[in-house]
Amino acid sequence: MAKNLSGELHVASANRLRDGMVVFLDEAGEWTTRLDRAAVARDERSAEILLARAQAEAFGVVDSFLVAVAESNDGTLEPLSLREKIRASGLTFDAIAAEAVRYA
Amino acid sequence: MPDTHFYRYDDYDRALVSERVAQFRDQVRRRLAGELTEEQFKPLRLTNGLYLQLHAYMLRIAIPYGTLSTRQLRQLAAIARKYDRGYGHFTTRQNLQLNWIKLEGAPDALAMLAEVDMHAIQTSGNLIRNVTADHFAGAAIDEIEDPRIWCEIVRQWSTLHPEFSFLPRKFKIAITGSPNDRAAVRVHDVGLRLWRNEAGETGFEVIVGGGLGRTPMIGKTIREFLPKDDLLAYLEATLRVYNRYGRRDNLYKSRIKILVHEIGPEKMREDVEAEYAAMKDSALKLTPETIEAIARQFAPPALRSKRTKVPEVEALKLENRAFALWLKSNVAPHRVPGHAIVTASLKPAGAPPGDASSAQMEGVADIADAWSQGEVRVSHEQNLVLPHVAIEALPEVYRALERLGFAEANVGKITDIIACPGLDYCALANARSIPVAQRISTHFAELSRQHDIGDLKIKISGCINACGHHHVGHIGILGVDKNGVELYQISLGGDVDFGKTALGTILGPAVEADKVVEAVDALVATYLEARQADERFVDTYRRIGAQPFKERVYGAV
Amino acid sequence: MALFRLNPQAVQEPALTLANTDDVLALGDRLDGVKLIVLHFPKFTDGRAYSQARLLRERLGYAGELRATGAVFLDQLPFLLRCGFDSFESEQKGFAEALARARTLFSVVYQPTGDGRVTAGQLRLRQRSAVAA
Repeated sequence: MAKNLSGELHVASANRLRDGMVVFLDEAGEWTTRLDRAAVARDERSAEILLARAQAEAFGVVDSFLVAVAESNDGTLEPLSLREKIRASGLTFDAIAAEAVRYA
Repeated sequence: MPDTHFYRYDDYDRALVSERVAQFRDQVRRRLAGELTEEQFKPLRLTNGLYLQLHAYMLRIAIPYGTLSTRQLRQLAAIARKYDRGYGHFTTRQNLQLNWIKLEGAPDALAMLAEVDMHAIQTSGNLIRNVTADHFAGAAIDEIEDPRIWCEIVRQWSTLHPEFSFLPRKFKIAITGSPNDRAAVRVHDVGLRLWRNEAGETGFEVIVGGGLGRTPMIGKTIREFLPKDDLLAYLEATLRVYNRYGRRDNLYKSRIKILVHEIGPEKMREDVEAEYAAMKDSALKLTPETIEAIARQFAPPALRSKRTKVPEVEALKLENRAFALWLKSNVAPHRVPGHAIVTASLKPAGAPPGDASSAQMEGVADIADAWSQGEVRVSHEQNLVLPHVAIEALPEVYRALERLGFAEANVGKITDIIACPGLDYCALANARSIPVAQRISTHFAELSRQHDIGDLKIKISGCINACGHHHVGHIGILGVDKNGVELYQISLGGDVDFGKTALGTILGPAVEADKVVEAVDALVATYLEARQADERFVDTYRRIGAQPFKERVYGAV
Repeated sequence: MALFRLNPQAVQEPALTLANTDDVLALGDRLDGVKLIVLHFPKFTDGRAYSQARLLRERLGYAGELRATGAVFLDQLPFLLRCGFDSFESEQKGFAEALARARTLFSVVYQPTGDGRVTAGQLRLRQRSAVAA
């Protein structure tokens, strides 16, 4: 799958104030938990504008910032850094389930 | 339910904790309403143990001196189920972390904690943190005096201390009452070691300026023998010197260890002693009545001596090899004949170290009610401890722990790994820790081999802040980020046994994540070939030096 | 910047303003006759002035007005009061209401300071001796 790895693509992200969930800014200026709904800035100038919009929508989120992403041919977005991949898609191992009693 | 054998809150303690919950509820309300900015709110939430991590808020709950009643442990399980995802992570500082807390739910979770006389007060922030102790306190055969009496005195004194709530940086105190230090007192901001002098009195050796983190240092003794009733005056003097002179210009130089290093232990001693001299006869002096009233609550359970040789135990030992190994590694001598201290391993092969589900916590509580006087301890090695088990009950306790997955016979062995949460959870981490621990523990799962390898402590941190204590691991593993790739730096020769506290030395270039297991394998192979008699890994390393290990690892990697 | 004083009638001259790096134990006769001392919080997370306040009140017996300036927010009030401050400059909304409540926010204190409050430890001792008697 060809990917744009130039690092020029960005989405704006933050954690939601009330529950800490990872959120992304969508085209309508709303915060969404879905990376696939995130507004994508495709060059440096629009990245700056995106960040400014994110910071203007700061009520209800904590610490907004830009995340460099790659986009596959079918339009799927994936953060470039491991940290942001983990933020976007969760733990890289299976956490214990609440009722887990391993060998029971 | 059995009576508890440790400090019970009275109405004063309860009032303070519930008033703190009410205060925090109001602070959360003001934040959600936009009356407080994040910059203003962050230090407030941190002083109540609430962090914002990668995916969610994390609540760090204090377990003072690592001691829990079964009622408290069940409540922790209930809180994890109701306000989190039904599991928790026991940390190296005897805290429990819940990783999926919502800000809006945090005050209610804290209120549930308060119902069982617990809190998250001062589990983060630049102030005096949860005071830790020997996890075998009150049961250990080598103990001079129960350190938890003093931990409780310090807990009360440090709670909402008006002068020391905005220190240059966090401040951690540990207390041990045994010559065999199990509380790592030399790597704390202040470590206190109880000992008996020639006159037969017990007092504290005061050790200041130890710590791990970015600049690991071993603490310096600034007082050989402190009369016990002066403990708070001496601590207040130490903290006042630190509050005044500790650096605030550079986050990485703000711990007391840097101050001690920069002005020297002699000057530190002088300043502290001068402050102490001005305060020692103040209201901080502990009266015999105060000490006695707290000490009484730590009176050990009335255990009657029992058989030390039990036929059922001996029979099971012969028939079940895993049980025999478990007796060797997970069961320690108790001061009362016929009893033992059992460590429940939270490190089954392939599991995240230190994690327990709500169901497992409840299972441990059931076992403790049935066979350990209703008491559970949290160790700084991220295991749970059943402090008072009769030897005749060991087969049943073993089977019950086995059903929970906590009977792995690996305490002190290569798979009893300490690991911080790492990049999977933590906003500060550079690399993952838990998956590395899981790979190592899966690779070395075979118990006979682990017991053949013997005592070997692996400690893994996902960044230089060293929450996984990698500096004092026999094998220390530090995750670093190099151009977006996780690499792991290996160090050898760290130790925290008293008198032998040592910091590890970096072996060579960092290795890639998928090469860590091979590297550890190479280290173990080198040791097994070179060891003499009963040498532990770290003893062999000290005798033969790094070179043979280095050749094997970098030849193999 | 609004000023909140617990003793509005107190004399405010002569005044002494200190940096939070000043050694209050070295003030010597500069303290003579002083009626107001102003201590500074450059950031609310910089707690050096708490120690200065306690030394002034408890070690040097200073009895005049003690004012906190700089980054002074209502959530610090329980600590400030316990260390001996009785006058505050703050811009924060709700500060006056918070000041009125601050002394009763916590009904229990553990540390003996110079603020005259009876600690939990002292109350327990009294209870025990009452029971014994």
